[in-house]
Amino acid sequence: MNYVAGIDIGSTQAKGIMLDEQGTITGKAIIDMETNMATAAEVVFQQLLASTGLSATSIAFTVATGYGRYRVTFGDLQVTEISCHARGALAAFPNTRTVLDIGGQDTKAIRIGDSGEVTDFAMNDKCAAGTGRFLGAASFALEMPISAIGPLAMKATHPVRITTTCTVFAETEIIGHLAKGHREEDVLMGMHHSIATRCASLVRRVGLVPEITFTGGVSRNPAMVALLQEVLGVPLNVSDQAQFMGAIGAGLYALDNLRAGRRSAHCGEEVAR
Amino acid sequence: MSASTTTGKLDARKEGQRLVNQWLANLHTAHERGQPVAYIFVMGNAIEILRAFDFEMVFPEINSLQSGVRKVSGDFITKAEDYGFSADVCSYVKADVGLMLSNMQHPSGTTMPEPDLAIASSLCNVYIKWAEIWERRFGTPAFVLDIPGKRFATWKSPPGSPQHLADSRWVEGQFRDLIARCEQITGRTFDPDRLAEVEEHVNEMVRLWIDILAFNQRRPAPYNSMLDGLTYMGVLNAWRGTRAGVEYMRLLHDEISDKVARGEGRVADERFRLIFSGTPCYVNMRRMIELFESHGGVFAASDYLTYAAGGLDSAGLFYDTARPLESLAEVTTLASQAGLSNHFFSHHQLAQQVKEFAADGLVYHGIKSCRTVATSMADNREYINSRYGIPTLYIESDLIDPRYWSDAQLKNRIDAFFEVLEQRALLEGQ
Repeated sequence: MNYVAGIDIGSTQAKGIMLDEQGTITGKAIIDMETNMATAAEVVFQQLLASTGLSATSIAFTVATGYGRYRVTFGDLQVTEISCHARGALAAFPNTRTVLDIGGQDTKAIRIGDSGEVTDFAMNDKCAAGTGRFLGAASFALEMPISAIGPLAMKATHPVRITTTCTVFAETEIIGHLAKGHREEDVLMGMHHSIATRCASLVRRVGLVPEITFTGGVSRNPAMVALLQEVLGVPLNVSDQAQFMGAIGAGLYALDNLRAGRRSAHCGEEVAR
Repeated sequence: MSASTTTGKLDARKEGQRLVNQWLANLHTAHERGQPVAYIFVMGNAIEILRAFDFEMVFPEINSLQSGVRKVSGDFITKAEDYGFSADVCSYVKADVGLMLSNMQHPSGTTMPEPDLAIASSLCNVYIKWAEIWERRFGTPAFVLDIPGKRFATWKSPPGSPQHLADSRWVEGQFRDLIARCEQITGRTFDPDRLAEVEEHVNEMVRLWIDILAFNQRRPAPYNSMLDGLTYMGVLNAWRGTRAGVEYMRLLHDEISDKVARGEGRVADERFRLIFSGTPCYVNMRRMIELFESHGGVFAASDYLTYAAGGLDSAGLFYDTARPLESLAEVTTLASQAGLSNHFFSHHQLAQQVKEFAADGLVYHGIKSCRTVATSMADNREYINSRYGIPTLYIESDLIDPRYWSDAQLKNRIDAFFEVLEQRALLEGQ
């Protein structure tokens, strides 16, 4: 049996996916990013191998994606996360025509054509407003884990209006609202709303064509899913593997290469790692 | 001394560099030589009249872009911001202010002379405020040319039509005022024959420039319009209306023509032909082009090479040198309609370029410095996407402010754009 790997080195987390030659997911790994992208890639790869019991030399092809894709020293090919998220989303939901991915420092809306090809995409500008980093600022200001802020926001009854679009100033604004006596859940819902409207704008920029699939770590946040559905006026597909969608797409590109007869130079050889 | 190759043949790139250096050296010594100096912009500048009075020209826009190319713009901009200019002000303006705050020491080594005359025009909404800064700094009153633009998107003003003649008379009147001012500054009398001579040079340059732009319709494109093309345009603007300018253009024309005959392209393997819309990022242009050319993508055409090429985008209009002043007004009036503020519904022009240059994709470059240029890009992009179905990309940085360059983010978007182009090529090949 041949195996391929997809490695997604993002700004906040590194993810790895192993697929067998039928395209079935046989292993996955995720770690928080560290300063050295090459080391993070190596660590997540080793965890991926450990989760499957495979050795590095038995991986026939590896595709790297994410901002750190060129730092994956054992990668055979680099593909951007735009193509990889589109590919992953299509695999999970074949009728996907629009993908929204909210990552740690990038948000992207991707349009997919009838043949499954990416026809257009739009991304946030250099500012991190409207990305996962904005929620990270809230998590920091409120001193609570990021996984807790979505469920708490769902309890809001009088959401505040967050006016800043700057992630750095957001923290100041949160503290200001709390000082005025607003409840944490109302402030958090305001933060979520601010992100949702910016993301919806990106989606409209490429054309809102259903079905829409929501990928990336922020898709695990129930408040964000609910708000986006409300703002966009359509239901969103959310996979339980949404966080791994870029890595899955990378794995599928690796599988394409394997099927086209290409194999990693490392495959079958003992390589010191 | 001319820049020649080992075969004795002139090399256009070296000759262009030599001319730029010569121009800067001339500026350095202009006042010592008793020559008057005019500050002008690249669009709507009446350079023909100034040449007839033997002014040396300072183009503050070119000074600023040169500070970007020479990696000094960041320091100049910081000086202007320290003085109190906002981060949102055009970086060209701030680099110019930075130059003034640096005792006019330009990174080229030239001490920029102060102006005896400054001309602004209505073709860019920053020009007039910029010229006001010169007035305050140098005490030189700015002469503002009000050149009428398009009345509406599809408005045509054929040569000789009542609207065209009325507009031309309006502009001609201003030119006469300008001439009176030049006579006052130089102590010389206006010579229409000298103006006609300058115009003859411009006519020849326009003829050659139109051919040079069209050479890139060939596959492979012989030059990259957003790298080589920028160099050509710099020389054209600085030496417009001169014999040296004509000779440079002939050299360039012949060199590119030979390249076309040999089937030689700018990139070894031209895979995608692209159009660039917007202004360059001079502080990192070589890197930006590398991000595209590494995928075999070459910019065959650009709207920048038309609207920023002074009056060289005169849509095939030439001066009637038998009536030099009247003709100057008539051509300026029409040529300026292709300029920046009159760039009404520029998607028509871009769509035309997409067809003529057989483009596979179109890249929009929005800049922090100029929201005017970026304002129409969303509609424009939507139009090209929906009508022509070719992939488009929107990227952002700045003209010369290095703080707005984000290499990883730009590379990510550009790589993804080429993946889109690759997928499309693959589907079309099936």
